[in-house]
This record gives sequence, structure tokens and C-alpha cells, in this order.
Amino acid sequence: MTRQKVKMTFIENETARKSTFKKRKKGLLKKAQELGILCGVPIFAVVNSPYELNPEVWPSREAANQVVSQWKTMSVMDKTKKMVNQETFLQQRITKATESWKKLRKENKELEMKNIMFDCLSGKTLVSSIEKTELRDFGYVIEQQLKDVNRRIEILKRNNEPSSALVPVAAPTTSSVMPVVEMGSSSVGFYDKVRDQIQITLNMKQTTNDLDLNKKQW
Amino acid sequence: MVKKSKGRQKIEMVKMKNESNLQVTFSKRRSGLFKKASELCTLCGAEVAIVVFSPGRKVFSFGHPNVDSVIDRFINNNPLPPHQHNNMQLRETRRNSIVQDLNNHLTQVLSQLETEKKKYDELKKIREKTKALGNWWEDPVEELALSQLEGFKGNLENLKKVVTVEASRFFQANVPNFYVGSSSNNAAFGIDDGSHINPDMDLFSQRRMMDINAFNYNQNQIHPNHALPPFGNNAYGINEGFVPEYNVNFRPEYNPNQNQIQNQNQVQIQIQNQSFKRENISEYEHHHGYPPQSRSDYY
Repeated sequence: MTRQKVKMTFIENETARKSTFKKRKKGLLKKAQELGILCGVPIFAVVNSPYELNPEVWPSREAANQVVSQWKTMSVMDKTKKMVNQETFLQQRITKATESWKKLRKENKELEMKNIMFDCLSGKTLVSSIEKTELRDFGYVIEQQLKDVNRRIEILKRNNEPSSALVPVAAPTTSSVMPVVEMGSSSVGFYDKVRDQIQITLNMKQTTNDLDLNKKQW
Repeated sequence: MVKKSKGRQKIEMVKMKNESNLQVTFSKRRSGLFKKASELCTLCGAEVAIVVFSPGRKVFSFGHPNVDSVIDRFINNNPLPPHQHNNMQLRETRRNSIVQDLNNHLTQVLSQLETEKKKYDELKKIREKTKALGNWWEDPVEELALSQLEGFKGNLENLKKVVTVEASRFFQANVPNFYVGSSSNNAAFGIDDGSHINPDMDLFSQRRMMDINAFNYNQNQIHPNHALPPFGNNAYGINEGFVPEYNVNFRPEYNPNQNQIQNQNQVQIQIQNQSFKRENISEYEHHHGYPPQSRSDYY
């Protein structure tokens, strides 16, 4: 059986809670010890158990007193700068996770649109089949790609270099020849299906009748 | 399958020599320690305080309910009172409910992050597959020759034109001209003086990826702590204050079912009888809850 994800809520069952507390407390103090040793830093932990009268102190009362007295001598500002309770700590984690999520979502969107763009260029996908709500994001990605290409062309022309990479010597296969994307009447490739619609749209004139009708409607 | 990393290594429990490694380890292990402490507090209702000094002599501390109270109890040697005062218990209950909400929110965000990571891996795999087909235009632009770049540029520009035309047609169909005769309204969507769709018009330069807009609303977006649903919905299912003067969705020629108007009027009378002071209620039908997927749903 695989390890189950623990739901972060208070454990109602007292025996389960007690055993969880013992195990987790032991793990927590072990982690504290490891941090202290690996980084050579003073550390102190205290756990007030609901099951025992006296709190558990780590590493020892004497060492803890030393750390606490050192902590007490610090100014309020220095003390509170990096001080968190459970609420503030959780809020910090939420903020961090949300930022990561937003960033990754943006990357995914760009990657998705890039895949669609290359599919369009290789003739696998028609622009008309793209979700209409995605068109702006798609346009944005094309814009970015065009900017990159233009920047690269400028650099190559400035350096008077015909190429910065070796042009493939092998005879081009069908996949290595880029499909021609044209807007004109002699359009070849994957835009045949939408060419006529585009031409109609581009040459479309709105007559005065249409305008009158529009005024009546609104 | 080749292993990507070394896997989990057993490390020697001695102070680290490398200063930068030590800083990174401290940072990671400290947040891990605080996370464990937070989980212990949530699951078992324990009171925990941790104080740790960084290698740079800065102090980091975690405490539940707070650092000072736990440390004071430790210094003064006060055991936990067996029966807390009523006010204390009330405060504790409230705090626990806040923490519970935060934990739920965190779980939600983390699961969404996990989903997004899986999606990223899938997209990367798709990208690798298409790259394997040998389409040179999918290579980074730095690796392309000038002749290739010129051809690629031409194709991209044509593709952009086609997309602009598609987008213009879509926006023209779905975004109403509230001010007829105003060219500024049309210009925003690549339509010059209402007669032509302009394929060279830049629809995309002002666009930021992933903005929530009227055309692309993500219902899976996290909206923490919405006290009330948007668009002024209320318990009676009637929208207050949606009067034609400032309602962008208002259409003069739109006449909903007469029965519906009567029903709404009856409810309105009923509410007035209950002596609730309310704004003028629109007789027009409106959407409840989040905005629809596309703007066209409004019309």
C-alpha cells in the first residue's frame, strides 16, 4: 500500500492523536538536532504536551536557558523580524505556493501556445480550429516569436554573418521543408481552407443600409 | 531507465565546511523544521516554540500560539492549566478555525500546483516528440541560419495576419458597439472606421499572458474568502441595484417572459412587507455567480 496523504486537521481520536504526537515530537526534535549539528548554530525547542504536565525541552534545560537568555538580550525589532506563529507561517507558505502556481501556469500557457503555433506552421492545425478565447494568448506568443526572430536577424546582419549555425547539408526531407504560409490568391499549404473566408472578410464593405440597421438596433 | 539524480544520500552528521552550502542547507532545513512544528500543532493541538540562530547570527523563531507565551511558560515553569478560562477557550477555538481555513487553502493551492506540474511535464513530452520529427523551425532562433530566419519570419507574419483576422471577426461578433459611430471603439479590435478589418492591426501587444478578461475567465482560479458572490447576488435570488442607467448588460429591446416579471414583483412586495430597505430592483434577467465563459453569453 502506498503512503497516504495526511489530512491537516485535528485528530479527534485520542489514542491515534497520542501516538501521532509521540512519533512526530520525536521526529521534530531529531530534525532540530540535525539542523544544529550540520549548520553549527544554537537552537532550542520546547514542546508543551497536552498529555504531560512539564514541557519537553531540547537539547537540555541548561542549553535552552543559554539560547533563551541570548534571545532575550536582542532588541524587539531583531526578535520579531523573523518571528512567525502558525497563522503567519501558513500565510507565507500559501503566498509562496500561489506565486509558484501562477508562474508555472503562465509558462504552461506559453508552452501550449508555442506547440499550437508550430502545429499551425507545419500544417497540422488550422487557425480556425483554435479556441476563440485562446486567440489573444496565441497572438501574443506569435508576437514574441517574431520579436526574437527579428532581433536575431538584426544581430546576424550587423555581424555580416550569413549564418551562425551550419545549414543542414543533407537533402531536405518533407518534414525539414517549411510549409509555405501565404495570404494571397496563390496560397499554398494549410491555409487553403480559410483563404476564401479571409479574402471576403478583408474586402468586406459595410453599406449605409448596414449602418442604418445598426443604429435601429441600438 | 537512467536515473536523473543521485537519489537520497546519507549525509554525515558533522558541521558543513562549505559556507554557501551551509547557508542553503540552513534555509531549507529551517523551513522544513517549522513546517513539521506547524503540522504537530495542527494535528495534536500541542504548543511548540522553536528558536534558532542563523549562521549570520540572525534569530528565527516559530511558536504556537506565539513564541513569547510558550517561552514565558518554560521560564516561569508554569504547567498547562487543566481547565482553561472560558474566554481563553473561545479564543483558542477561533484561532483553530482560522488555522483550519488556512490549511484548507494551502492544500487547495498545493494540489493545483501539482496539477500544473503534471501538465508541464506532458507539454514538455509533446514538445520533445515534435522536435524529434526534425522540424528545423522548432529549434532555438540562435541556431538558425539567416535564410531560414527570413523564411520563418515571413511565415510567422502571415500566421499573425490570419490570427488577427480570426480574432477581429470574433471580437466584432461578440463585443457590441455601445457608441455607434465612434471609430475609437472599433479601432481597438483592428477595424478601421467600421469598413475594413485590418490584419496588420496589433491586437496583441498590450496583452499580458494569463490576464483574466471578459473572454477568458478561469473558473478554477483560487478565490479565497469570498464573503459574498460577485455581481451583488443576495439571499433572495434577486439582483439589487441592477437598474438600466448603469447596467452594462441592459438592452432596451430585450423583453423577458412577462410571468417572470410578475413573479419578481411578487417577491419584491413580499420583501417590502418584511420591512427590508432595498434598492430599486431591475425587471431584467441577469446572470448569477461568476461571469460566463464568453462575453456572448450576456447578449
